[in-house]
Amino acid sequence: MNKKLLHKTSRAYLLYSVLILTISAPIFYYATERLYLKEADDTLLLHKREFLKYAPSTLKNADIPVWNSFNRNIKIDTIKQVTKDTIFFSSYYDTLDAEIEPYRELNFPVSIQAKQYTYSERINLVETEDLLKNIAILFFAIISILLFGLFFITKKLSINLWKPFYKTLQQIESIDIDKTKQPDFAKTDVEEFNRLNSSIQKLIERNTLIYKSQKEFIENAAHELQTPLAVFQAKIDTLIQRSDVTQEQSEILGSLNENVARLNRLNKNLLLLSKIENDSYSDKQTISLTNSIQKNLAFFTEQAKAKSLIIKMELQKDFEIKSNQVLAEVLISNLFLNAIKHNIEAGEITIAMHENKLVFSNTGQPCPLNTDKLFKRFAKENPSEQGTGLGLSIVKKIADINNWAVAYNYKNNLHSFSIIF
Amino acid sequence: MKLLLIEDEKELALSIQKYLTEKDFVCEWVDNAKAAIDKISIYDYDCILLDLMLPDGNGFEILKELKDQKKAEGIIIISAKETLETRIEGFNLGADDYLTKPFHLSELLVRVQALIRRKNFKGSNIVSFNEIQIDIHSKEVKVNKNKIDITKKEIDLLLYLIGNENRVLSKSAIAEHLSGDMADMLDNHDFVYAHIKNLKKKLNEAGSGDYIKSVYGLGYKWKNE
Repeated sequence: MNKKLLHKTSRAYLLYSVLILTISAPIFYYATERLYLKEADDTLLLHKREFLKYAPSTLKNADIPVWNSFNRNIKIDTIKQVTKDTIFFSSYYDTLDAEIEPYRELNFPVSIQAKQYTYSERINLVETEDLLKNIAILFFAIISILLFGLFFITKKLSINLWKPFYKTLQQIESIDIDKTKQPDFAKTDVEEFNRLNSSIQKLIERNTLIYKSQKEFIENAAHELQTPLAVFQAKIDTLIQRSDVTQEQSEILGSLNENVARLNRLNKNLLLLSKIENDSYSDKQTISLTNSIQKNLAFFTEQAKAKSLIIKMELQKDFEIKSNQVLAEVLISNLFLNAIKHNIEAGEITIAMHENKLVFSNTGQPCPLNTDKLFKRFAKENPSEQGTGLGLSIVKKIADINNWAVAYNYKNNLHSFSIIF
Repeated sequence: MKLLLIEDEKELALSIQKYLTEKDFVCEWVDNAKAAIDKISIYDYDCILLDLMLPDGNGFEILKELKDQKKAEGIIIISAKETLETRIEGFNLGADDYLTKPFHLSELLVRVQALIRRKNFKGSNIVSFNEIQIDIHSKEVKVNKNKIDITKKEIDLLLYLIGNENRVLSKSAIAEHLSGDMADMLDNHDFVYAHIKNLKKKLNEAGSGDYIKSVYGLGYKWKNE
């Protein structure tokens, strides 16, 4: 699936943030816990030093129960005897919270009025569970704020940053090499975009130039061929008048004649194609399709008769199009002759008009044609046939310049060509 | 009948000249605009065949010159260049017909004949061949003074055949003549056979001679028996 540029960057940001946060969360947790524990131990040791400095000198044995009753966290234990400092974890039941809470506890021996006691101080630790929960919440909050921020900043930035890019994109998308209009890229303040625009501009100019010169070449070549073809034709016409041609020679002459005629047609059609491309038929008028079909119907009927074809007309509704008269007739003639040429003996041709569609259907070979090549120049199904291989590409060209669509389909043994106006 | 051929392609000019001369035309040939204008100012012609692209100028200049001199010659433009604009300009400058290269010599001949007929039109416009009479104006054909039922296409074919009497006409030349503007799109010339067959039948039934001969491998020929 194609993603937009913004999605791609956002996804990278998201992945990176999640990765960093998942790695850093346990480290953060561990470090916090360590720090906290160290702080607790330091506090305990500080309290010990304070106690040792002031308490043993002033405290009396009799005061110990009083001390113990007023200090919740610092007790002077009379029973327990420790010989050295010990710091350890312990837990006590908190009656107020009604739960067991973790503590850090320091025990050390102390002598008050020459009697040995154990000093025991504890500090309430934050519960691991609470800590984890808080860190998780904190991290989630950070990640969300970070991502939203990133997303909006990227979005805002990329809209602005990529604006020239999208403009260029739009222009390239609307380019039609047939049309003379060149794209006009606005100057931006980003070097890369300027470079992109100027390279594209150069590319388009070059391609247009090549396309133009190719078009000119085809037209010039076709034009230049006219005169030698005329000489060729005239010489054959002269030669066939000779009374001394043998049967064998006349067969050769006949074949030469047919082929020069074919060459002529090919050349004329190439010329027509390049003329259409060069906008030589740009004057348009309103044309009745029915009239255009009727105009040469007698000619087509005559052509169809040779194959005993039945022509059915379904032209109940007339349709008016805006086009060049000559081209409209060329289009219809080519479709009509195509339907005759590729038909079978005693076949059928239907010309139908619906809404904005003109359809030529004909019987023919019992399998669909290769649609990839159908409208391409010189793409003949059967290379040995007499056609020029240009008929349908002329149809396509005429449709293209008038913004009509051409469609082919094969259904119920009928090959149909439709022009959608 | 006197013709002036203005054409710079020597080989083509010679073939045209030969074909037309054999048909009893006097065909003079020049290969540049200057010589053409000189000839035109001195002599009168029945028809001028004019190529538009000449080494020393444009064929349109010759047309203008003819117009300025108020000459009444029939003019057929024969050109490799064919756009709607050149056609229209040609006709506006007084050309009577326009034939795009390449063309069949037989086609050129019938165009010349038709043009001269039009120019010399005096009340009737009839082409005759032995017992056959063709009224071009009313599109009627009579054989031994009896009108026969014939289509426009068949009259066209008949005129083409008679006009090219004793010439071998190839199937493609006939097909191109009969299909006119459609010729470039038409790949199949088999319909010629049907037309020839029908025309032959109609003429024979009306008691006309069998003038249409097949020429093996090439086409047909109108020949007086």
